[in-house]
Amino acid sequence: MTSPTTPGPLGLDDHGLAACVQCGLCLPHCPTYRVTGDERRSPRGRIALMRAVEWEGAVPDDEWHEAMDTCVGCLGCETACPSAVPYGRLISGTREAVAAERRPPLHLRVGLRLLSWPGLVRWGSRAIGVVQRLGLLRRTGVLPARIPLRAGRSRTDGKGASRGDGATGEVVLFTGCVMDAWQPEVHTAVVDVLDAAGIGVERSGDRVGCCGALHEHAGLVDDARAHARRVVAAMAGDRPVLVDSAGCGAALKHYGDLLGTDEARAFAARVHDVHEWCAADGRVQGLLAGLAPSSGPDPSTEGGVPVARPTVVVQDPCHLRHAQGCHGSVRTLLAPVADVRELDDEGLCCGAGGAYQLLQPEIAGAARDRKVAAVHRAARGDEVTLASANPGCSTHLAADRSLAEAGVGVRHPMELVADAVRRSGNGTRRA
Amino acid sequence: MALGLYSRDGSVTRGGRAGVVCFPETTDEVAACVRIAVAHGRAFVPRGAGTGLAGGAVPCDDPVVVATTRMDRIHEVDVERRFAWVGPGVVNLDLTRHLTGTGLHFAPDPSSQQSCTIGGNVANNSGGPHCLQDGVTSAHVLAVEVVLPDGEVVVLGDEEGRAVGYDLRGAFVGGEGTLGIATRICVRLCEDPPEVATLLLGFARVEDAAATVSAVIADGIVPAALEIMDQRVVEAVEPFVHAGYPTDAAAVLIVELDGLPAGVAAEVERITAIGHDHGAGTVRVAADEDERARIWKGRKSAFGAIAVIKPDYYLNDTVIPRTRLAEVLAKVYEVVDERDLIVMNVFHAGDGNLHPLIVYDAREPGVMERVLEAGEEIVRISVEAGGVLSGEHGIGLEKKRFMHLQFTDADLVAQDRLRRAFDLHGLANPAKVLPTGASCGHVTSLGRPPEGMWV
Repeated sequence: MTSPTTPGPLGLDDHGLAACVQCGLCLPHCPTYRVTGDERRSPRGRIALMRAVEWEGAVPDDEWHEAMDTCVGCLGCETACPSAVPYGRLISGTREAVAAERRPPLHLRVGLRLLSWPGLVRWGSRAIGVVQRLGLLRRTGVLPARIPLRAGRSRTDGKGASRGDGATGEVVLFTGCVMDAWQPEVHTAVVDVLDAAGIGVERSGDRVGCCGALHEHAGLVDDARAHARRVVAAMAGDRPVLVDSAGCGAALKHYGDLLGTDEARAFAARVHDVHEWCAADGRVQGLLAGLAPSSGPDPSTEGGVPVARPTVVVQDPCHLRHAQGCHGSVRTLLAPVADVRELDDEGLCCGAGGAYQLLQPEIAGAARDRKVAAVHRAARGDEVTLASANPGCSTHLAADRSLAEAGVGVRHPMELVADAVRRSGNGTRRA
Repeated sequence: MALGLYSRDGSVTRGGRAGVVCFPETTDEVAACVRIAVAHGRAFVPRGAGTGLAGGAVPCDDPVVVATTRMDRIHEVDVERRFAWVGPGVVNLDLTRHLTGTGLHFAPDPSSQQSCTIGGNVANNSGGPHCLQDGVTSAHVLAVEVVLPDGEVVVLGDEEGRAVGYDLRGAFVGGEGTLGIATRICVRLCEDPPEVATLLLGFARVEDAAATVSAVIADGIVPAALEIMDQRVVEAVEPFVHAGYPTDAAAVLIVELDGLPAGVAAEVERITAIGHDHGAGTVRVAADEDERARIWKGRKSAFGAIAVIKPDYYLNDTVIPRTRLAEVLAKVYEVVDERDLIVMNVFHAGDGNLHPLIVYDAREPGVMERVLEAGEEIVRISVEAGGVLSGEHGIGLEKKRFMHLQFTDADLVAQDRLRRAFDLHGLANPAKVLPTGASCGHVTSLGRPPEGMWV
């Protein structure tokens, strides 16, 4: 069933736009409203502004555009909305409609264009990594503080890149673009865990490349579609596609809507967040159960020396919690290997939002401050690790000085699971 | 165009117009906003989260809107003496969340508590499901720092809750922004109960649920909360919260009991028995905290969930004697049916505080007239049954035309004198509450004043 579109220049889903009753229950779940207290920075306000243009013929002015530009796109409001207003669809429709006249800044467009060449991203990143080590680059939340000089293994493009059953693995791990260059250890962790559970995995590699999430986020929907088409074509078959970046996972699952083809919908149905898939897989569960203190030989000792279970504070990336709704699986996987602590902010966005931190540094910084304060509250001064399943969030958070000073490291949940697997000796098994 | 976002609140009122919107962060800045407005003969209108349902924050004729959302600091928590000083922009639920681990909480819990601000709660003397046992906001405000309508800053009340001389704190709470702007609030903190049980009772008839409410109170039990939701509400919220409400029941009664474990257990048994006596088809006790939270989330999401049925709502708020719930509810359904509208009933049954939620599509021609007519009839029926105009949403713009139903001319003159004692020039949120003085020029959707209205 398709809804009619609004008559104005934005052409939005009319029923969706009408569904907002303006009750304001979304307000506290919107990071930009939270840090500004301003209706112009709220979902309710943005919807009212869309209505003014679509229903009342108002002409967008700078203030109007600014209201739309400042949305992080976290979808926290969708989760909070009792009337199921499809805010994500409304804001991306708006962004697409205004993209022609509100093009993202040149440096962002160039950056996004580069993502089409994963090999270039790796080499460029390595160069930046060298510059960073020479102390020549100011630290921001956009790039990791120390980009690894050894990139991921995906350059071999699937051939021999994986352990397990290699290119004929049972599942395919989507390796994406920047993660391979900036956080290759995450992919390695996933492969190690799956491998220890006896599950063959193939890395998607450079042929598949970037998912286009950042392009769509920036309103460059045509570019996003081009990436989506390439990914779908390059990953034919029926094997499950696992994704360890929440942002990429949300994008891949959304390909059905983005491309509107049966092929894309069939592909999207094969996509699983890595935690979601592992939490539902008996072999991984069996592996983790063997690590839990209640069963088997005590895993908390290493050569007779007790190893404390790490205390982990879980940060839910919006793309996992609000877009995919599978943040519970992260806890399922972490519970056997760590003491999990929750934040008390109901998953309020940290402000990273892909390129958002670059475009709206002030709001992104204030949103991060709120998140960091919640992390400190959860840590209560104890030694903790912050687990985040999205490279954008983890890079943004890791750049916070007070977390660094408190010794709070930011890691991917699968790395923490892999640590435990490797400690137990299971990780050394190779196919 | 963006100023339009400050032209309305959570109510049906349309056509408000803000002149300028200020975001003060300190008491001094609020005082400066007020002084500048007054010096230029401009009215000022305080605003919190804009979730009000009676149009109290709707600006009339280009006033200075003073948004307190950035005054969201919790200044001090004194666990031993059980109070907290908070900014007016602190979100209600944030305070209780902040108190986690202290064994204390802030009792008033309006359904919009996840969004609404404590400053707004003070202005409207807000209630909430748990105010049945704990009392409404006024019982939880010990002291309040106020910027008076001439810009002077005073503190009314004190941390011990003692009023020296007249209780001006008591006069200020519920003033709906017509007596000044609260800039710091000292709230009473309540102890968390050692044991809580939440029951869900399903009834085949709404009147049986209403009769159960009267019977529970008559039995000598005052639960922490007693709430009724009718079938339409349950059907709207269940897909959102998955609380396991009985969707086949005509009405669901939520009963929350708290206190010492032995007492709570005895009361659970007693209420189960009373429920069965009154025809409850199902009685379920929430098994854990998660289930309890879902039950409450559903109850508190009701007004926001209506778009699954219609895109607009008019949420009324009247109070009637508890013993006449069944009779008045039947009339409410009748009034609404007659006008070919849909009503969803969800309310604080223990307090007799009705919240008929009329849902409609404003784009349908002529529908607004029927909605307002039904609303007016509901107010009339409630007052005739011995009730009052508003339980907790305030009078604002919405109900001021009904004030004459409740009060004599002499009553209204006396109230106007109190208002003028605070606000000589009539610039503090004018055109609200009392049917005197300024009208709100551009406001629509409120219908014409009824005949014989006191002006």
